[in-house]
Amino acid sequence: MKKNVALLLLVGMIVAVLSACSTGQGGKAEDSGEAEGGVTTIEFWAAPNPTQQAYWQEMAKAYEAENPNVKINVSAIKESPSSEASIQAAIAGRSAPTMSENINRGFAAQLAASKALVPLDTLPGFQDILSSRNMTETIEPWTFADGHQYVLPIYSNAMLFGWRIDILKDLGYEQPPQTYGEILELTKKLKAAHKDKYLWAKADLIDPTAWKRWFDFFMLYNAASGGNKFIEGDSFVGDEAAGVETLTFIDNLRKENGILAQNVTDPFETGTSVFTDLGPWTFTMWKEKFPEMKYNETFALTMPPVPDGKNPAESKTFADTKGIVIYADATEAQQKAAVDFLKWVYSKPENDLKWFEQTMLPPARDDLSTNEAFKAILDANPQLKPYAENVPNAIPPMDNAKYNELQTLIGQEALNKVVRGEISPADGWANMKKAIEDALK
Amino acid sequence: MGQYEEGHRRRTEIKESSHGATKQQVGLVIYQPVPHLFHRFFFIPLIWSFYLSFTDWDLIAPEYHFVGFENFMDALRSPSVHAAFWVTYKFMLVFIPIVTVMALTVAVLVNGLPRFKSLFLIGFFLPYLSSGVVSALIVKGLLSYNSPVNTFLRSLGITIDWLGTPMSALFVIGIILAWKFTGYYALILTAGLSSIDKEVYEAAAIDGVTDRQRFWRITLPLLYPSLYTTLILAFGVTFGIFTEVYQLTGGGPNFATNTWQMEIFNQAFKNLQAGYASAVALLASLATFISIYIVRKLLELWGKRYGWN
Repeated sequence: MKKNVALLLLVGMIVAVLSACSTGQGGKAEDSGEAEGGVTTIEFWAAPNPTQQAYWQEMAKAYEAENPNVKINVSAIKESPSSEASIQAAIAGRSAPTMSENINRGFAAQLAASKALVPLDTLPGFQDILSSRNMTETIEPWTFADGHQYVLPIYSNAMLFGWRIDILKDLGYEQPPQTYGEILELTKKLKAAHKDKYLWAKADLIDPTAWKRWFDFFMLYNAASGGNKFIEGDSFVGDEAAGVETLTFIDNLRKENGILAQNVTDPFETGTSVFTDLGPWTFTMWKEKFPEMKYNETFALTMPPVPDGKNPAESKTFADTKGIVIYADATEAQQKAAVDFLKWVYSKPENDLKWFEQTMLPPARDDLSTNEAFKAILDANPQLKPYAENVPNAIPPMDNAKYNELQTLIGQEALNKVVRGEISPADGWANMKKAIEDALK
Repeated sequence: MGQYEEGHRRRTEIKESSHGATKQQVGLVIYQPVPHLFHRFFFIPLIWSFYLSFTDWDLIAPEYHFVGFENFMDALRSPSVHAAFWVTYKFMLVFIPIVTVMALTVAVLVNGLPRFKSLFLIGFFLPYLSSGVVSALIVKGLLSYNSPVNTFLRSLGITIDWLGTPMSALFVIGIILAWKFTGYYALILTAGLSSIDKEVYEAAAIDGVTDRQRFWRITLPLLYPSLYTTLILAFGVTFGIFTEVYQLTGGGPNFATNTWQMEIFNQAFKNLQAGYASAVALLASLATFISIYIVRKLLELWGKRYGWN
């Protein structure tokens, strides 16, 4: 009896250990996407929002109808707790999809450094996508430090600043201010007229979370520096004069009590603040929640302000842009099918138009503001025009694999402290520069 | 005769088991998933984590290097790791007294009810089942600058940046956690209260014991086993705080709410430094183990005063 019990336990333990040690590849062979009966299956992870998921499902269905030898399974990237974490876990667990969208350049750099992505420029047919979609110029700044392209940008938002033009008109302004000096002047007038209003109300200004720097620091810094790269390869190449000017502008706003760095519900929409960073995705939300927000009636859009003495017409901004990647774990057949699918989608401007109409995110094309296909949507939504026009003036995020750490340091060492009045702009910049250089070593 | 009856009973039990298997054998079969789960979700990840902590691997790259104790040395020098260490104890100071007093109050009040005890306990237990993300977002709305609460406070001349000030951010998160866990701990304490022999209270009443004396001298000491459980659980909670911090403060301001879990998440999934994150996780485990051990010993000393061993 005791022998039987011991045997049973031993067998149980061995099964447990062996099954726990298995890589799970037994199951993977079944879904590997290898042509089975002539059909190649590819897994496409779409952005975790219903609109983009629906768009890609529609595209996949239409493609499958014309190409019965390819099956595309579209599903949303899980956010547990973030889409980046889910992708990383999937790659580590050997269950990565063939391709996914919603990848920013920084994250792509992290994945590329770990050889998890296929350099797209090495795949046959990739150049055809660029030329048929008319995006050879738009993709140029996306080239990574190693000379390859790892991401096919889908959309590119030239991030703009929104102004409550109705409140500004009450203060005697016909146009929003465009330089630091003009904005400080406005802040003084605003505080004199409305003690409880602020120029910029944004809790993120004191939050060191890396991606938040794209929508405050980099918008202003790109304008002040004329689009300086900040990080090139593994070197810090930040423009000190522009950086200190940017931080000084924020410091001056703080001194004028123009910044409210607290969690505020809809500060711009409620008029608590008159200035905010705006992406075109906001307009879909406004249509539902704040129908009173009308372009050039309640709000206006401008490129980021520039330091005094600089030409506002030459302002640059941050490009909030995301794209598609193909994972290195995908088989050759899957990679080929993935490129062919993208070639099919982007061979017709109507598909980009459909994307634009459904998501309000400007397709990453050189001809967005000139192609007749997009004229109707831009005419019907004039607030989207400045986004389309400024695509060439928008600088994509850095392509350093340590982008998260580096951008966290911008907040921790400089911006957050300046907003809280804990450090001078020059010292903040110097500390940040040192911390970034140490991190890059 | 007795021996015969006992033997007959055991034989009957064995026969009653399905397909002729003994209870012991059935038990062993049922037990089989345990070593499997233990290996898969505890033992192997633990060994794997040890291994990772000595490498610079990000879990993705095909190549990685052994870096010896470098990850541990970096972690010991890191201001964010120092913050995670101290923030955990700060959360203990806020969360444990609040949750203990609230759970005890709920338990005593519910236990004194003549009817519908279960209904009230379920009501208080519900927050434990609620999503941490949702409750954090609700609190974020309630504490926003233009919420009715803050608008009212400003009208009194009081301006509080709830999540932007280190002390208040700690309190806000501590209170959310206390709200979430009060019902759960109250359930355990109510079970403890209902197991106290009523005769003890009757004898005390005859001796003219006041309500206060009754609570401090009888209820609390006799509730020790349940209190011990809830306190150990509460100390454990403080080492695993993540969702509320992730949603509300991201570990800020100035690392004031940066917990071990936030630090591990940031390093592993944002900076893609799984090796370093493993080293931090092992340091966190060590801190947890030592802290819980000390707490256990202190609680046992307290229990001994009342005759609990």
